[in-house]
Amino acid sequence: MRPLLVKELWEILSGRALWTMLLLMCPLIGYSFSQAASLYGEASVTGLQSPVLASSLSPLDGVLVPTLGAFYVAVTLLFPFVAIRVLGQEKESGALRLLVQLPYRSSSLIAAKLAAVLAAWVLSSIPAISALVIWAMQGGHLSAPETLNLLFGHLLYGLLVGAIALFSASVSESAATAAIVTLAFTIGSWVLDFTVAGQPGLLAWIARLSLTQVLRTFEQGLLSAGLVVGIGAAMFGFAALANVWLPPGVQLRDKVIRSIVWVLVVALALGLATQIRLTFDATEDRRNSFPPADQHLLASLAQPLVVTVNLAPEDPRYADLQRNVLAKLERAMPDVSIRLASGRQSQAAAAGEDRYGEVEYTYDARSDVSRSTSPREILPMLYGLAGVSPPAPAPGSDYPGYPLVAGRQVALLWFFAGLPLCIALAWWWSRRLPKPLPARS
Amino acid sequence: MDGVVHLVAPDRPIPSNSARPMAAPSASEQARDQVLLRVESITKQYANQAALSDVTFDIQAGEILGIIGPNGAGKTTLLEAVAGILPIDRGDVRWHGKPLPPSRRREAIFYLPDGVRPYLDQPVTRVLSFFAGVYRRSTDEISGAIESVGLTPVLRKRVYALSKGYGRRLMLTLGLLTPQLLLLMDEPFDGFDLRQTREIVSLLRAEVAKGRTFVLAIHQLADAERVCDRFILLVDGRVRGIGTLSDLRSRTGISSGSLEDVFLALT
Repeated sequence: MRPLLVKELWEILSGRALWTMLLLMCPLIGYSFSQAASLYGEASVTGLQSPVLASSLSPLDGVLVPTLGAFYVAVTLLFPFVAIRVLGQEKESGALRLLVQLPYRSSSLIAAKLAAVLAAWVLSSIPAISALVIWAMQGGHLSAPETLNLLFGHLLYGLLVGAIALFSASVSESAATAAIVTLAFTIGSWVLDFTVAGQPGLLAWIARLSLTQVLRTFEQGLLSAGLVVGIGAAMFGFAALANVWLPPGVQLRDKVIRSIVWVLVVALALGLATQIRLTFDATEDRRNSFPPADQHLLASLAQPLVVTVNLAPEDPRYADLQRNVLAKLERAMPDVSIRLASGRQSQAAAAGEDRYGEVEYTYDARSDVSRSTSPREILPMLYGLAGVSPPAPAPGSDYPGYPLVAGRQVALLWFFAGLPLCIALAWWWSRRLPKPLPARS
Repeated sequence: MDGVVHLVAPDRPIPSNSARPMAAPSASEQARDQVLLRVESITKQYANQAALSDVTFDIQAGEILGIIGPNGAGKTTLLEAVAGILPIDRGDVRWHGKPLPPSRRREAIFYLPDGVRPYLDQPVTRVLSFFAGVYRRSTDEISGAIESVGLTPVLRKRVYALSKGYGRRLMLTLGLLTPQLLLLMDEPFDGFDLRQTREIVSLLRAEVAKGRTFVLAIHQLADAERVCDRFILLVDGRVRGIGTLSDLRSRTGISSGSLEDVFLALT
């Protein structure tokens, strides 16, 4: 495999697409980072005077997510062109007809190309990583678990886009067509986000197919095993489809049949992935969890908890309840069922009912109703239903917050001069001619 | 190498390396009973148009077989079908009498397509290193292939900067680095002048002497007559004649005609 991997890496490095993308990323990520750091600095001025205000200053929300958000835009719009190149150019030049005759299985060829896509993603992440380095050098706080979790999410998103690009290149005759197919997935996800997100019923299910959903959980600081398995299955599925469509000597009918089989297998894997409930809260402020004492006590409540929500799915109160209480309960308690009483009814239709806004909690044959979306009111109520005493709050576990007022000059100088220069030099280095082949002995 | 085993031909005499294969006892005549590959009833249709119709022929070990025919005759389609990189509607390929499914063709056959410039942005050296690395070729073997094809002057050039002739030489060098016994080449002399064509003909003869077999798709009949031991005349996807020039002359009754005369008489 070594000659193949070396060839794939040189193909990535020799193309203009990667270097052009890197150069475009410099101002994009640089501007996002300096804006985020500037706004964070403004908020930090008051935060530095008040510990209470400081506790709301998290670099994850204030700096990391916006900076890597620019990286996400670049990966969505530009990375497909880099990833498509690993296969598209060989198809266009006819070199694929040589490649498929080499003594490698087509799965090995696809694996090598995915490795090249991974290498391309690692190189494209340099501007984003450098922003984090600058932040840390300026005295900014980076929590290792939440930073690595967020980077891992972006890695999975990048590889998923790469796998889609590879599949698109395998079914398309030209790189231009492959780009259109890939952008249909990536930009199509934005369309889904803008048009059907927050809608009830089937539209809500369709909205969940958006690729941007991949990142949301990581941006919230959660590492979800189900999501990771699901993304892995989707990546594997696109790679498997690329593997089906790569060999030119197979009848179209056979390719279609094999594709259908793989689609069914991946659909099954995705279905199974949705059943995996294991999640880790990677945030330093534990925003996705109740306080540790509550978490511990809730984990010991073995009976099923049934929550009946009389709210329409698009109601902002439902979103608050979901974020503040229900998602945390699902993570903390062993058996939680959540039911929307309004079903697929819209907010307008459901709002006229008397019980609209009520949330009923049933535990161990006892029920209580609340309209609150705050855990401060709901947790004591749950403990009452379970017949247990609320735990004593643990001292010293409060998130301190990390206010920082940092200058913009260093970042702007780096992203608008230093980094582009480094990229240009690396590009020049990659264009150097190799050493001549050794002469015959 | 992913565990792919290269098919090995049984022991066979290495054919003589004659400068004029048509005059001297040819490789095909020596090895006539040693069928390396048999192509049986290959049929391929595009939409409602037949690209290949019941094409059947044998490839003898150690010969240079020319597939000749006008543009659009189906020469490239036939080579790609035999190489297993084009799905066919019907037909079979046998290697030493045993079925050789498309997925295993690359173990015995390597096909050099026409008009391919592999890895345009890479220097020639890197492309050669890739193939040499894949097939674990020694330094001597790489240098030998480069020298024999005359690729030395352009080793440090990028592939996109090569002239048509050097692009063709690069493809030929890649073919020489492969270990397959049977090499299929589509229009191997396209882009070469007469002197260069003769050089390449000598090179192919030297490879035949080492035990290789070639199938060349050629539309220039003069080139084909210069290099090939036997010919397949292909017109509109159908075989109109197979044999040595003498065989074809006998069929047409043209006692001393050129391949061009024979071709015109048979098609």
